[in-house]
This record gives sequence, C-alpha cells and structure tokens, in this order.
Amino acid sequence: MRRSRLPLLAGIGVLLFLYLPMVALVAQSFNASRFGGRWMGFSLKWYARLFENRPIWDALWNSLFVALVGTGVSVVLGTLSGWAMHRYRGGLQRVHHSLVYAPLVVPDVLMGISLLLLFVNSGVPLGLGTISLAHITFCISYVAFVVLGRLQEFDDSVLDAARDLGAGWWTTFWRVVLPMLAPGIASGAVLAFTLSIDDFVITFFVAGPGSTTLPVHVYSMIRHGTPTLINALSGLLMAVTFGLVLLGQRFIRQSR
Amino acid sequence: MMRYIFRSMLAAAMAAGLVGCGGARPALHLFTWADYIEPGLIKEFEQANGCRVVIDTFDSNESMYAKLKAGARGYDIVFPSSYMASVMQKEGLLAPMDHALLPNLAHVDREYLAQLALDKEMKYSVPYMLSNSGIAYRKSKVERFEPSWAMFDRADLAGRMTLMNDMRETMGAALKSLGHSLNTTDEAQIAQARDVVKRWKRNIAKFDSEQYKPGIASAEFLVVHGYSGDLLQVASEEEDVGYAPPKEGTSVACDDLVILAGSGQKALAHAFINFLHDPANAAKNTECVQFLCPNSASYAQLPEEIRSNPAIFLPEELRQKCEVIIDLGQDNAKYVRAWDQIKAD
Repeated sequence: MRRSRLPLLAGIGVLLFLYLPMVALVAQSFNASRFGGRWMGFSLKWYARLFENRPIWDALWNSLFVALVGTGVSVVLGTLSGWAMHRYRGGLQRVHHSLVYAPLVVPDVLMGISLLLLFVNSGVPLGLGTISLAHITFCISYVAFVVLGRLQEFDDSVLDAARDLGAGWWTTFWRVVLPMLAPGIASGAVLAFTLSIDDFVITFFVAGPGSTTLPVHVYSMIRHGTPTLINALSGLLMAVTFGLVLLGQRFIRQSR
Repeated sequence: MMRYIFRSMLAAAMAAGLVGCGGARPALHLFTWADYIEPGLIKEFEQANGCRVVIDTFDSNESMYAKLKAGARGYDIVFPSSYMASVMQKEGLLAPMDHALLPNLAHVDREYLAQLALDKEMKYSVPYMLSNSGIAYRKSKVERFEPSWAMFDRADLAGRMTLMNDMRETMGAALKSLGHSLNTTDEAQIAQARDVVKRWKRNIAKFDSEQYKPGIASAEFLVVHGYSGDLLQVASEEEDVGYAPPKEGTSVACDDLVILAGSGQKALAHAFINFLHDPANAAKNTECVQFLCPNSASYAQLPEEIRSNPAIFLPEELRQKCEVIIDLGQDNAKYVRAWDQIKAD
C-alpha cells in the first residue's frame, strides 16, 4: 500500500502556521521602521533602545523574581501532590485530583478576580508577594500533572527492592525516587517557569503598586508605545523561552 | 518546603515594605499608560520633593476600573480617560481636588474646559492629554484628498480604506458627517447614521482598530480612520502619510489625572499634578507623547512644527464641531442595535 503524503503536508502546514508569525516578528524587530510596515533597512536600534528603557528592565526583574519564586515553590508542592495522587487511592484523593485539576480549566479572568477579592478582603497588601502566590497556585497544577505522567511509567517494585536492601524512607526517597523523577520534575519546572513569565490576566489583577511585570507593561505599551520595541523584546523572550524548552526536552530525552 | 514558603513570605513582606510607607522617602504611586510622561520630569520631581515615584501600568480603562473597584489599594494618581473618570467619581473612588494646592490649574486651557471637558470645574479630575480621531492617507496615491468623512464614499478607493472597528467612533463619524451630535440618543438620527455606515461599508476593506498603523505605513491601505497620536507618529516617520481631522467635526478624547480617595499621599499627589501643569513641563510632555496637554501657557514653548499642526491644535472653527464621546448608559443599546445591523448587512 502506498503511504499517503497527506500527513506530511498537513504537518508542514501546521508548523508553518505556528512558527511563521514568530519568524516574521523576529525579522521585524530588526526593521529600522518604527511601525514594522515597509522594510526600511536592517537595524539594531530597537535592541539598543530596549536596553535604555528602565521601566522595561524593572518589569523584567519583577517577572523573573516572581517566576523563580513561583517555580521553586510550585515544583516542591506539585511534585508532592503528583506523588500523593499516584501513591494513594480513595475518595479523598479523587477530591484532591479534581482540586488540582481545576486551575487548568478555570478561566484566567475568574481566577484573577477571585484571588484579588481574596487578598483585598483578607488585608494582604498587593505586590510581588501576591503575584508569587497566584502564580504558585496555577503552576502547582501543571507541575503535578507532568510529574503524575512521569509516575505512570514508574515501577513501584523498585521501592520494595530498596527497602529489601535496607534503605530507610529518606534514603529511598533521596537516592531512588528523586533521581527517577528528576526529568519529570525538571520539565514541570520549565513549564511552570514559562507559564509564570508570560502570564498577563491573573498577574494584572493581583499586582500591586510597584510590581508591574513584563507582560503587564507590554500590554500597556501597545496603546501608544513603540510596537517595534515590543518586537525586539519578544525576540529576546522567545530566544530565552525556546532555550529553556530545549533544555527541558533534553532532560526528558536523557531519562529514556 | 516550609523554608520555601517562609522565603517567599519574607520576599513578599520585603516587597510590601519597600512599596509601603516604610523607608525615609515617601513614595508616590502612579497607575497609568506606558510611556506617558517624559522620563526626565519624573527624576526632577523626585529630587525636588525628596520622594520616589513608582509607575505601574494598565492596558485599558475597563481593566483598570475592574481592579480598583474590586478594592486594589496603594495607588495615588490614576490616568483614566475622561468618561471613565466620571464613572469612577460616581462610584466614589476619587478624592476631590484641592485647588489651593494646585495654582498651576490657572494655566489649563479655558476653551477646552468650557467646550469639551466633562468635569468643567476640575472638581475631581484635571485634564492631562488630548487626542482626536481622524483620517490618515497616502499623499501620492490618493488624488483630491479632502479632510472630510465623505472620503469613505469614494468608489475609486474601494477596498483600500478602513474604518475603526469601534461602535461609538465609527457611528460618531457617520453622525458628524450628517451634522448630528455624536452623543445623540435620537432613534431617527442613529438610523440615518447606520445607513451611512452601511454605504461606507461597501467601499472599505474592513473595520479595523488594531492594524491600521502598519496598514497605512506599508501602503496596504490608502485611507484609514484612527487616533491622532498613532497616526501622527506614522506621519512623522513616513513623509507620504498625511493626517487630518475631518472638517465636519470628530471625536476628541482626554485622559485625565485623578487622585484616589484611598490615597495615602494626597499632598504629594497634588504637588505632582501641579508639577505636570507647570507650563514648561506640560510642553515637554506634549513633545514627548505627541498628544496635546491642554495647558494654555505651555503652547508658546512648543516647537513650531507642533504649534502649527492643525491635527494637534484643532482650528477654532473645527473645535466647535468636536465632541467627547460620553457614556450613554441605557441609551447605549440603541447604538449596539444599529451596529449589529451594520455588521449583519
């Protein structure tokens, strides 16, 4: 039977559709024209301007701070949650499963507004702290499900083997479980980091004075700022994000 | 795990402490649009008043309002559009302006206040930047251009023009072309305007509010309807692009300065508003932002190319015909109905 060419063509079509806009955006970031219409020559001036723009860098540091705290905490909690869902069965775990699953499907606006109301009513001052808490909240779910996926290939008999060989629970965890889960945890962490660094809707609502993050600043620039500056910034961010994703994939491949 | 939580809590507490009232220098918090104040002026104000100015940004009036209405605190001055400023005032979110602390308000353009402002006595809001909407065109490709809404009836430009995908702006254009108020609530006038837009729709490529800037810059479109700030930026770079507010009149929008009722730095906030209306500073901001700060005493200090630009300084006769779009409450439904009929046509 002759193999159909259709899947190949469809695959190429989908990839072009996904990546062509990004290629165009990166190309435009080198365009000397301010509006990215006609090509007016190659230029690095937008990158130079970007480096001079202090509010953008302040916003970037805020974003990085939140993403690092958010990733750090959600990786620990998410891994524990994934482990619990894998290890234990029962009614309570089913509740746990749906609670962890909910943030994946709840619309961002709803989550943003409800967190804002929670913080305001409990008197927590809005700022980087509340943004970090919000990001931890949604990142836990992603990490938990990535780790859970990894655990489905996990052979529980190694735990018995470890115990047979005299390992205590801590040694078992530290020397056996953690190394085997490391690739899953790492890809969960990368996912959490990228989600945290791009989030706009939830962040906008829970941000307080002095804690504007990069996506919030970028949205505001669209109104009458310089779009090409945003192109340059997106180019840089994309390079960083792709770098992290590639790194994450290498972890996954190494584990096989 | 506890350590992580503890650390993040500590970081949160530190962040809150940094932005709160702690520390020797008081902080003034602005909630505004990005790139809306000349950066040098911020530094000058910080030095003169021994304070820090912290700027946070929002992307639309509606999301800013949702956030403040839900109870977000800590901001002192906000920069809403004037229709939103009046909504905020009705909801009790704003503190009254203390004119004794604002001597520079004497410089605010009296004609603007009398003709266009919603808060004519500046009780709760002070105007900051004015813009208008109008038509940009490619000079070399559009023959016999005239600054008129009638351009959208030109069959020879069919398929190469865009109108804003904004109910009130585009219906407003049609109402102005008929000589009506763009805030009319008269059903017959709205129906007339609806038919005008239906007629224009046959000549335009699409209704568009996002892509008109690159569209006119790349000559994909020859005539576009959009905001003055955006289109003047294109015109300043691309010689072949011209911009004009239509002679039948158009919409004028103003972003205001308001002080929140919950502000903890009311004196400093007044000082900042007074500082922005210092004529020399107002001129610097106008030059930087390319909108117009309605401060009469600043006009003389502006460079000639801004002074003589009729798209920034609307001629008196045209200004008489311009209006600010106001929120019509219940009557908005009439516009929504007409707009739906246009879209379905």
